Amino acid sequence: MYAVYVLVHGLTLYTYAENWRAYKAQIAAQYSGVHLKVASTPPAFTFGQTNRLPNFLNSFPLGKVPAFQGDDGFCLFESNAIAHYLSTDALRGSTPQASAHILQWVNFADSEIIPPASAWVFPTLGIMQFNKQATEQAKEEVKRMLLVLNQHLNTRTFLVGERVTLADITVVCSLLWIYKQVLEPAFREPYPNVNRWFGTCINQPQFKAVLGEVKLCEKMAQFDAKKFAELQPKKETPSKKEKGGKDAGKQQLQQHHEKKEKKEKKEEKKAASPAEEMDECEAALASEPKTKDPFAHLPKSTFVLDEFKRKYSNEDTLTVALPHFWENFDKEGYSIWYGEYRFPEELAMTFMSCNLITGMFQRLDKLRKNAFASVILFGTNNDSSISGIWVFRGQDLAFSLSEDWQIDYESYNWRKMDVDSEECKTMVKEYFAWEGEFKHVGKPFNQGKVFK
Amino acid sequence: MALKELSSLEKCLGLKKPNKYSTQGEKKVPVLQNNQGSALVGLVTIASHLVCEAQRTELLGDSAEQRAVVQQWLEYRVTRLDGCSKDEVKVILKELNQYLEDKVYMAGNCFTLADALMYYGIHHIVMELAVEEKERYLNVTRWFDHIQHYPGVRHHLPPVVVLRNRVYPSSQH
Ligand SMILES: N[C@@H](CCC(=O)N[C@@H](CS)C(=O)NCC(=O)O)C(=O)O
Repeated sequence: MYAVYVLVHGLTLYTYAENWRAYKAQIAAQYSGVHLKVASTPPAFTFGQTNRLPNFLNSFPLGKVPAFQGDDGFCLFESNAIAHYLSTDALRGSTPQASAHILQWVNFADSEIIPPASAWVFPTLGIMQFNKQATEQAKEEVKRMLLVLNQHLNTRTFLVGERVTLADITVVCSLLWIYKQVLEPAFREPYPNVNRWFGTCINQPQFKAVLGEVKLCEKMAQFDAKKFAELQPKKETPSKKEKGGKDAGKQQLQQHHEKKEKKEKKEEKKAASPAEEMDECEAALASEPKTKDPFAHLPKSTFVLDEFKRKYSNEDTLTVALPHFWENFDKEGYSIWYGEYRFPEELAMTFMSCNLITGMFQRLDKLRKNAFASVILFGTNNDSSISGIWVFRGQDLAFSLSEDWQIDYESYNWRKMDVDSEECKTMVKEYFAWEGEFKHVGKPFNQGKVFK
Repeated sequence: MALKELSSLEKCLGLKKPNKYSTQGEKKVPVLQNNQGSALVGLVTIASHLVCEAQRTELLGDSAEQRAVVQQWLEYRVTRLDGCSKDEVKVILKELNQYLEDKVYMAGNCFTLADALMYYGIHHIVMELAVEEKERYLNVTRWFDHIQHYPGVRHHLPPVVVLRNRVYPSSQH
């Protein structure tokens, strides 16, 4: 079945770009010499989209990144587990004591560094509201944590043993943001051992290959109110909170806001760490280029396309997916289209025809949430045709809604189907199941591709 | 002394065929006679030659600046460290301790010939340090321990035990 994310072969790490969690795995791979493909940009990976696809969720139920897939289909989520898997024995610690110490520092990073570091840094990136008390508290916690590290590194070159291990990789990556954003020279001066160790690590060739040149903070960054204001409206559009249709998403978001307000009131009293309010994933989502949702104006629909796609991917088409489709299809909210390639005489080799189809699917990537299609190549070399059945949100051809979508659609003749007609029922059945007479075509089925 | 050191360096560099060395003069300056008949004289000269022979020139520094710093410490080793008096030892340890506070290696961010030769040259001094002194010169001790554990370096020298948990925690920092 077609979905962008299966196209990538080899050892693949799915992540958004410049994710410090992914860095842990990438640096480990540098040490072990494993060739790791990083899928962080479209078409291989689009954060907020690829990781919501049913196929992706099949392998990585949380839909979170980083996520790792081996060429043998071996899948892992949780960045620390991925880094562990990609490590050498030396990085993991070769004695029970060493590996336990390494685990100790990996957990230290997650529980002692990340919460206060996020609480301090996020407002400076404009991805979290500033709260003086919370920031001051985070600073104190960072100081305490740095003191512990400083004392440990007083007599040691690296955290565990005399070589770089996963402990160093993990703790360095976890400190990356504060060293870049807020640990100005005067603030970090009391921790010379940490500075020495951090500087040495980031300058090892294996770290450098992943991190590039790390520029240490010169002046402590302050709350970025402007950026925060800019990023705010984006939160009104459903992002990761969206589960069902768009409106369902909105409702959830509203609840989220209400919850948040209550929570904030509580927090004024106890000044708890607000890091959990908006994490860097939401931030990454929020800072995605703002594309308006072209389907925003449509009324709510009862037909849940994702649900159908799941059925279609996982269950028998004729006995389960198709009955589900017709039971739930909402002809007010969706339309069905027949599209036929206008230049069949140009289709020479079948593999080229396939590329034509997959290329189109990739260009339409952002349409995935609101469309489904099964497109079939008929015939053989030098005697073929391409046609497909498309299901779109709304009553119009979706292509006119966005410039990005207009590249291919003019190469096709489009015909809107009468949803209640016998013809439509037959075509949907044949195209979705990839079998049947295909009376209108007159060439044998060659292969099919599904956009979902 | 210098001859053992050169043979350890050969092993450290992975050179298979051991060279034959002789010494010159009262200070026993090492000499390497090569096939062409000309001789290489002096520890630093020969050590640098061995590094080139082993095609490990990155150990001489991988940038102009790092190469200069490596040379500086090689020179320090033969002019200051070798044959220094008891009083000078204290000064040297203090200097090195300060220098190494913010560094893991003698030059740049990785192991170089400067680390190897400083380690060989200072071993007999660190060996004799009392626990309290090792703690006083903590940065030297930490660096020393790291280098003696560096793969392939130690060879002819006995390991020096270094305590991680300080016995005299108030003596520094
Ligand atoms: N503990 C996990 C955290 C992973 C995580 O929170 N990933 C976020 C990005 S920072 C994500 O992918 N979120 C997407 C979503 O929640 O939909 C790890 O270290 O891998």
